[in-house]
Amino acid sequence: MSASPTLVDTTRSEFLKFRTVRATFIGLATFVFLTIGLAVLITLVIKSNWSHRPITEKLAFDPVATSLVGVFFAEFAVGVMGARFITSEYASGAIRTTLAAVPRRVHLVLSKVIVLLAVFVVLSEAVVFVAFEVGQAIYKSGHLPTATLSDSTVLRAVIMSGVYLTLLTLIGFGLGLILRTTSVTISVYVTLLLIIPIIVNFLPSSWQDHITKYLPSNLGASMLSPTQSSNSFAWVAASVVLTLYTVAIITAGTVLLTRRDA
Amino acid sequence: MLKIDHLTKRYGETLAVNDLDFEVKPGVVTGFLGPNGSGKSTTMRVIIGLDRPSAGRATINGQTYDQLKAPLREVGALLDAKALDPSRSARNHLRALALANRIPVKRVDEVLEFVGVASVANKKVGGFSLGMSQRLGIAGALLGDPGILLFDEPVNGLDPEGIRWIRDFFRSLAKEGRTVFVSSHLMSEMAVSADQIIVIGRGKFITSGTVDDLTANATGTVYVRCADADRLAQALVAAHGVVEPVNDNGLSVSGLTSDQVGDAALAAGIAVHELTPQRASLEDVFMSLTADSLEYGHKDVGAMP
Repeated sequence: MSASPTLVDTTRSEFLKFRTVRATFIGLATFVFLTIGLAVLITLVIKSNWSHRPITEKLAFDPVATSLVGVFFAEFAVGVMGARFITSEYASGAIRTTLAAVPRRVHLVLSKVIVLLAVFVVLSEAVVFVAFEVGQAIYKSGHLPTATLSDSTVLRAVIMSGVYLTLLTLIGFGLGLILRTTSVTISVYVTLLLIIPIIVNFLPSSWQDHITKYLPSNLGASMLSPTQSSNSFAWVAASVVLTLYTVAIITAGTVLLTRRDA
Repeated sequence: MLKIDHLTKRYGETLAVNDLDFEVKPGVVTGFLGPNGSGKSTTMRVIIGLDRPSAGRATINGQTYDQLKAPLREVGALLDAKALDPSRSARNHLRALALANRIPVKRVDEVLEFVGVASVANKKVGGFSLGMSQRLGIAGALLGDPGILLFDEPVNGLDPEGIRWIRDFFRSLAKEGRTVFVSSHLMSEMAVSADQIIVIGRGKFITSGTVDDLTANATGTVYVRCADADRLAQALVAAHGVVEPVNDNGLSVSGLTSDQVGDAALAAGIAVHELTPQRASLEDVFMSLTADSLEYGHKDVGAMP
């Protein structure tokens, strides 16, 4: 018969699995709607009450961040999609059929990571650029200050918000590899992004200064921010730290997958 | 050639498979017989690389499953018909398997047609009955045209027509020179569908052979009927037989051949009206072989204390 299958073949197989379930498209629609829909909503609200704003607020106005606010909601949609790409197989038992077809488990993880990476880099970047442009168009129509992509810090902020969402998709996937159950994975993911920052908030401020900047959501904020604030990483360092988290989580999940009985 | 090489598998404290060592030969249907919980499924799971052995290994043509480059082209397995994503269509399920093993995609429609689920190929498998899922699982096992096929309790969920179909199907696979390894806890099923039988209990090898081998080596009973059963019973007990009354004048004798029973009757001067050696059925053999190894044995129903 034909030649031995390669990583290309297992990746094609995983891509087919990704696009042949309806949940994928419900998830992607939620993701797009949250990011672009919230950009429209927030920018319209700001535009409508602009004339009532005090001058200090007007001076502090950030047309970039306000148009990208949906990113911090969409991060839950992409994390769940990343997680479900593996946990749904455990829920149905399909993981056993998958592993019988692809017994080299590292290959399986690589294939799934490639699929998520390819889909979410393209989609996240497209979505954040649309959200940004729609927001700026709304501001322009109300004669508010606007930002343009020809400004390199603005361009960077938009690109990095797409990168942030892609990394969070992969973190969701990695947690799913480790935890295997959808509900547990989502709980841990939400705890990481939402609950831990709240808990840290109650710690003494000297502690906070050291901890806060390492939290994934703060790393995301640093990646998007045009300027480096005190007690946070510069955008490059923040991107590196979040990438290291992603790699560490997926590596741990892969080691567990290769050792555990399916 | 499928080889189980001193395979042991523990789950925590539980010893599921205990030093199993046997080969499954091509060209015949090999039955893998044992009570529920005897380690059949565990053995199959180790063969296809789902579970790691604690000791020993299972090899396919000399290689362990995870060393196979395109495993579905060498081993086709149906272990759990419901182990698939319910929201994907039957065709897409098989296409994903085909892609991962570089099996031509046109093969998907061939196997769907062969097992008779082509008409629902584009329906979500979540809506399939167990019988339809079994057929889809068989399609998946055949996808890569493998030389070795494993089926774990394949007749569960099938109607009588499906059971007949699957027996004929196993025979034809074996006739094509393939290795066909089928587990069951039903000895009656194995007696009609398998050429060669491997019996295990509590994870341990008990015996193997053809159906005839297994029943021939077992001591059967002798049925004897005469005018005075009580007196004959005494004579037979004296000759070291074990006697059980069957009906008014009949006795079921074990531990003695029909010749010995006849001789004992003659010596005692009793006229024998009927003397029939009763061959042990595979079922009897299986019950006696595995009686000690049932995980959940049935206690005799006695008087409540």
